[in-house]
Amino acid sequence: MNLQRINFVEAKGNIVRDCPGTKNHICCGYKTIDLIEGCILSCSYCILKTYINSPYIKINRDIPYILSQVDKAIEREKHHILRFGTGELSDSLALDRKYKLNRPLIEFFGEKKKALLELKSKWAYIKHLIPYLNPFTVISFSLAPQRIISQEEKRTSPLYKRLKAAKNAQDQGCFIGLHFDPIIIYDGFERDYEYLIDDISRTLDLKKVIWVSLGLLRFPPKLLNHYIEEGRKNLLHGEFIRGEDGKYRYIKNERIKVFKMLYNLLKNKEEKLFIYMCMEREDIWKEVTGMALKDNEALTGLFDKRIKTLYGGRL
Amino acid sequence: METIPIDQINIHERRFCISYPLYDEVLFLSIKRLGIIQPIILLNSSPFLIITGFKRLESAIKLGYTKIPCTIVDVSEKEALLYSIHDNIKRGLNIVEKAYSIEKMLHMGFGTPETYETMTILGLEPHEKVLKNLIAIAYAEEPFKDFIITRGFSMKNIETLLSFDMDERRHIIQLFSSRHITESSVRETLQMISILKIKRGQIDFNEIIDARNMDDLKKRLKKMINPILSSLEERLKNIKHQCALPPNMDIKVDPFFEKEYIDIWIRAKEVQEIEDAIEKLGRILENGHIRGIFELTKD
Repeated sequence: MNLQRINFVEAKGNIVRDCPGTKNHICCGYKTIDLIEGCILSCSYCILKTYINSPYIKINRDIPYILSQVDKAIEREKHHILRFGTGELSDSLALDRKYKLNRPLIEFFGEKKKALLELKSKWAYIKHLIPYLNPFTVISFSLAPQRIISQEEKRTSPLYKRLKAAKNAQDQGCFIGLHFDPIIIYDGFERDYEYLIDDISRTLDLKKVIWVSLGLLRFPPKLLNHYIEEGRKNLLHGEFIRGEDGKYRYIKNERIKVFKMLYNLLKNKEEKLFIYMCMEREDIWKEVTGMALKDNEALTGLFDKRIKTLYGGRL
Repeated sequence: METIPIDQINIHERRFCISYPLYDEVLFLSIKRLGIIQPIILLNSSPFLIITGFKRLESAIKLGYTKIPCTIVDVSEKEALLYSIHDNIKRGLNIVEKAYSIEKMLHMGFGTPETYETMTILGLEPHEKVLKNLIAIAYAEEPFKDFIITRGFSMKNIETLLSFDMDERRHIIQLFSSRHITESSVRETLQMISILKIKRGQIDFNEIIDARNMDDLKKRLKKMINPILSSLEERLKNIKHQCALPPNMDIKVDPFFEKEYIDIWIRAKEVQEIEDAIEKLGRILENGHIRGIFELTKD
């Protein structure tokens, strides 16, 4: 673990924001809580390198201020069940054992019972949270084949630990989320993902997985030079084009193929899994899932339906 | 100023020499015509060491001079190097000379603040990465140095070139040498070659060495890096060829085949032209060409 300096800062302005999404792609209406900005983990593909221009990790310590913003957002929303996450500008769990930032959030959502908090991570330590966990917190893990974790996700927990922690969260009565993001196309990735999905289905109760996201590697142009300088063979293996939002992403034919493969592998394990694609185009949704999603609102609606199915009248 | 015999100077010792290349035809002709106008500066030692005037001395020796006008100074070696750098700044240093200046400063034990200060004076960004590049330039092979000076490359392109090994650089220089290049076309091409190297582990220059021009070179590289996109472009071209569109009609497809829609473009000056275009469009639709275009990205 590196010793990147931590700066505690007073929370100012909008800490709770709409996930920025991306132009002309379907997004899910997620809300982000900027509790921590920066990350101690060291993923080679991480886009935070281009978003955060600070050598320090900033922690917003004014929890009551943050909770008041979350509360306002929940009260303002009349149509949808809001989903909040702290994993947009950092890893939700990597610093939590030391700074215990999530506990008040978990308790708040548990008392509020009107929205969900998602803790998204590659760091498999949740023991300290277990006494406080409640069904309104979703523990989520980003998953990738161990080969990618070893080569591209330095300082993160290995796959087996992530799956073990996810199982532990399920055993505590939490729903869990699984994020295949970024999915990286490299030589032999199809077989690795097949094994990964086998491992997941053996370890976890797929009926208690609230959502699964699929997102293929995409990155702003600035990162291409980083990848070249670092000779990132895995990251540069596939064929990239510039999307309408200016980001590099795999060419559409390839995206469709990979999404279809993973979608089918997952659905074969559990037909009722709720699988969505992060920041993808309307026609890709249609090709992969057969669903005609016209806009963000339609996807947000699918989330509402999913949550209602799992929580019934509890939320 | 005084005049001393050249044999009292250690002409082989170049610890203060930052000039590159050493031979200067214009200077040679000037000295031949007028002699040495500005005396060289020598360090007071036995034999004397040259601080500035390496090129002048080189020309003078070629012209058969036995004596040379000079100024002898008594300063430390570090001071002498700074004399050399600052005396040459006014004529404008090329990137290799800047690299020599900085490399020699480091070699003589100047600290980072002084080195960075000189980098700023030389118009270089005082940054560790730039420093690393300068040192690499100073130690690079001569053809590389000559090439970057002749073409006046930016530091970014030099840095990318330096990321290749010497043999690869030799091929790349060969690729660029006989072609009309711009800073941006070099950047684009080097990026593609870098990606290709990472993807394949090595580059087979035989595949590109006979490219007709930079456009052809970029096209070939693109085909290697983006085979799917290149094949889609080819298929689109074929479909459009089969459509045999008149000059006032076009079917515009997203260059990366990302967008879900296509644009059909018609230019008309009179009603008849629109009627003809619609009729043509009807035939294209009937033949399945439009469907073919839509299906390009769904394979």
